[in-house]
Amino acid sequence: MVVRLGDLERRVMDVLWSGFGVEWTGRDIASHLPGHAYTTVLTVLTRLEKKGLVHHERTGSQHHFAATATRESYIAGLMHDALDVGSDRDAALVRFAETVTPTEAAVLRRALDAAAVRADLPAP
Amino acid sequence: MTTTLWFAALSVLLLGPVAPRLASAPWVERAPRAGVVLWQALGVAGALAAIGFGLSVTVLPFHDGLVGGISSLAQQAVAGRPLQGLGIVGALGLTLAFDVCAVLVVGLGLTIVRTAVDRSRHRSLLDLVGGAVARAPGVSVLDDPRLAAYCLPGIRPRIVVSTGTVQRLADPQFDAVVAHERGHARGRHGVVMLPFTSMDPLLSWLPYARHARTNVALLLEMAADDFAVRTSGPMHLVAALVEMSAAGSVPSCAFALGSTGVALRIHRLLRPERTSTTLAVALVASGAALVALPFVSLA
Repeated sequence: MVVRLGDLERRVMDVLWSGFGVEWTGRDIASHLPGHAYTTVLTVLTRLEKKGLVHHERTGSQHHFAATATRESYIAGLMHDALDVGSDRDAALVRFAETVTPTEAAVLRRALDAAAVRADLPAP
Repeated sequence: MTTTLWFAALSVLLLGPVAPRLASAPWVERAPRAGVVLWQALGVAGALAAIGFGLSVTVLPFHDGLVGGISSLAQQAVAGRPLQGLGIVGALGLTLAFDVCAVLVVGLGLTIVRTAVDRSRHRSLLDLVGGAVARAPGVSVLDDPRLAAYCLPGIRPRIVVSTGTVQRLADPQFDAVVAHERGHARGRHGVVMLPFTSMDPLLSWLPYARHARTNVALLLEMAADDFAVRTSGPMHLVAALVEMSAAGSVPSCAFALGSTGVALRIHRLLRPERTSTTLAVALVASGAALVALPFVSLA
């Protein structure tokens, strides 16, 4: 059930992101998600609002929902963690390789080419 | 008295001058996982010796050795007079033993909580915006032209790559990168790093804390490299390392230790005899001996 709820969160966000800046009503969103009850969609929206991903406004009896930020900005945030731009060396994730300077990169490339020649392989 | 001196010498030695020696030892990289065990053993032995030093100073006034002294101390603590007869030296010793334990436990606890929060936030966003790639099932893809690949540790670790990585690396290199990250996930390297990260703010004045953190991180990279080599061979991994590390668009943020790390890994991967089982066994045995060392004086 938890997995399905997570999956539905993703699909609700996809709908909201497909029209970013648009104010969606719960029924509009539910109409994009065939097979899911309107109340379920509202539950998911509440969960997403608690996580800070969605906010809603009320005009009269109507609730309008919108994504807090674009999909791209979340990706940018994750990439920021991944590339360690702040260089704060946080412990959250394990990166493949640290950044080297262009000079070091040139030296590494030469070492690689030399090794490829020694190993009698085409340089990858 | 001999016991007190033994603990003092041992803790100073293990947490002081031994750490930089181990960090610069060229042979450790031939058994990276055993090297990590040795670093762990060094830390445990050093901490035990420091706590032992504090306790043995505490019970000096009782004149009946560490074990006898502690039992006397426990008896009078039960009787409701825990500090009686300790004097200023004894009280300082008790404070030291207590503080060492507190710093380690609290530091580790805080790090575990902070890391769990960071990871959980990263993971929930990742599950919302991450895509998939046919070549590597189960790997999350972030839509970004820059090169990035990482492992997000957890109960179900996530392996993440950018679309730039998928597009710009040749297929065998990409496979090598994914295999390397699977090595991190399989080895639970996120958990292994936690105690070393937790020493950072409070204990970074200790040579051990500084050297262990950077060196264990590097050894874990090497262990993941070894895992990737089993399926991808060294050359594709080396090529991927060169591409990935050179592509960083932020050269001003390149710190000396980091770049040295990549060079060391490449140099190691290009060596014909990269690993040694004999050395691994020897290192683990030394680790076991190290942990036993503080208890020698009690025998």
